[in-house]
Amino acid sequence: MHLYLPVALTSINILIPVGLGLAVGLLSGLFGVGGGFLLTPLLIMFGIPSTVAAATDSNQIVAASTSGTYAHWKLGNVDFKMGIYLLIGGFVGGLGGVQLIKVLRAMGNADFVIKITYVLMLGIVGGYMFIESLQSLRKKKTEAAPNKDSAMAKFLESLPLQTRFEKSGVTHSAIVPVVLGAFVGVLAAIMGVGGGFLMVPVMVYMLRMPMHVVVGTSLFQILFTCIEVTFLQAYTNHTVDFTLAVLLLVGSTIGAQAGAVVGRKLKGEQLKVMLAGIVLLVTVKIVFDLTITPASFLAQAGGH
Amino acid sequence: MKECGVQSSMFKKMLAFALTFCIAPFAFAPDAFAMLTAKANHDHISVDFFYNGSAVSVKGESEPGVDLVVKITAPEGRQKMRKKGKVAGFLWMNVGDIVFDHTPNLYFLHSTRSVDDILTPAEQDAHLIGYRSLEKHIAVEPAFSPEEKERWFDEFVKFRESSNLYALSNGKIETTLTDKGRQKYALYLDWPYQASPGGYTVTVFAVKNGKVVETAYSHVKVEQTGVVKALAGMAVAHGGLYGLVSVLVALGAGFGVGMVFGKGGGAH
Repeated sequence: MHLYLPVALTSINILIPVGLGLAVGLLSGLFGVGGGFLLTPLLIMFGIPSTVAAATDSNQIVAASTSGTYAHWKLGNVDFKMGIYLLIGGFVGGLGGVQLIKVLRAMGNADFVIKITYVLMLGIVGGYMFIESLQSLRKKKTEAAPNKDSAMAKFLESLPLQTRFEKSGVTHSAIVPVVLGAFVGVLAAIMGVGGGFLMVPVMVYMLRMPMHVVVGTSLFQILFTCIEVTFLQAYTNHTVDFTLAVLLLVGSTIGAQAGAVVGRKLKGEQLKVMLAGIVLLVTVKIVFDLTITPASFLAQAGGH
Repeated sequence: MKECGVQSSMFKKMLAFALTFCIAPFAFAPDAFAMLTAKANHDHISVDFFYNGSAVSVKGESEPGVDLVVKITAPEGRQKMRKKGKVAGFLWMNVGDIVFDHTPNLYFLHSTRSVDDILTPAEQDAHLIGYRSLEKHIAVEPAFSPEEKERWFDEFVKFRESSNLYALSNGKIETTLTDKGRQKYALYLDWPYQASPGGYTVTVFAVKNGKVVETAYSHVKVEQTGVVKALAGMAVAHGGLYGLVSVLVALGAGFGVGMVFGKGGGAH
């Protein structure tokens, strides 16, 4: 059955968005990512204008991450304190990133910078996470690496405002998550994505949080980012298609629950290696898109 | 069937034949057509929640023996697109904007035979019949050499054809002779759901000896109705409220599904 989408001005078989929502929701619940880096290009492939695809995706993520956060909260996997610090940083970083994009657009090379940042970030994050988690899986029960008294660790410990994050079992200066959140916020704004695939490795490797808490906390953080983005897109650009969002969220809210349940049965390292695999696949796909001669040399204005 | 406005051209002696046609959207089966053409004033397509394109027929009568060309176009406007090009020698990405001005967003051209066989190039240009005539008519910004303009226009046509908004055909128009010795014609078209709401002009040309001898017009109006119209209107007129409702519904759905699963699944 087809439904007409009033803002996208196109018609779509309802099984497509419901199915896509289910798949992306599952990833969301499993790995703590919004899945925008997967869903937005897929929606464009099915004829949704790119601006509507991105804005509607963020509306859908509000539902999926609410569902996912709820499921992970019940499992005790959400560090609200850490989430709020990251959010504060992310908000500031997002504002900065938007300004940076304005400057880049004025200089005329924004598209190049965006694409290259995207490919490099995906590639580096995916590659590092893949190798690191494979090594961890092989070592299995080898003793955890002795505390590295590296210069970095000493520097982090010397920062003021040290505070304990009970849920994650780590102690950091409050400045650390705020700065890291801002860093992800800047990059996410530049790339026009939620940044879940960056936030997860930042929490795992830099904040040293356990993977299961990372997933829940990341979803909590994504929820607020996407509420803000959805509202701003609807208010300023009128690009949120409510009908499409409802079709997507029917699948994604259920998928997120399933993801949380499946994730509970997997080890942190297994989750990391799977997420890294997906990120690397997306990287390869983008590299192909960039290097293979396109079928059409024109694209709708307003897209990526 | 209602007769639509007919304008005779300079060939006054050709006034003898009346060229009539009607545009009638109908849902699915040809059977439904007869019923719907009775409502001849309803020459508009309603876009409701379950809209997935429609069907349009162009019908009428003409003098026997003439060729027919049916052109359907959207109003001309500025079509802004992104140009893809190579950066750093090997990366394909958007490298700037390109504007096609005086260009319709939709252009259908159907004829009894190939337009090159039945119309002189000058006559095609005069009536904007065919892609080459359209190419001469439009303006492309930034300015290109004629070869470059042709290349980008061809890309534009390819892009629009892939969205079902541009199409050419010949031989799709059915013609029959009536008892009174007149020629009846009929063209059945799938109307694409990609065609945005708005007014479209249908022009029918009667062609003889390489020239257009008579022209008739009608219109197709595509209009959003009901919930679709309300949602589209609200998205633009009340963006803030629309955004708020979108967020609240998403939050509600997320919590709702979470609670249902949480109770059933025994999460702890």
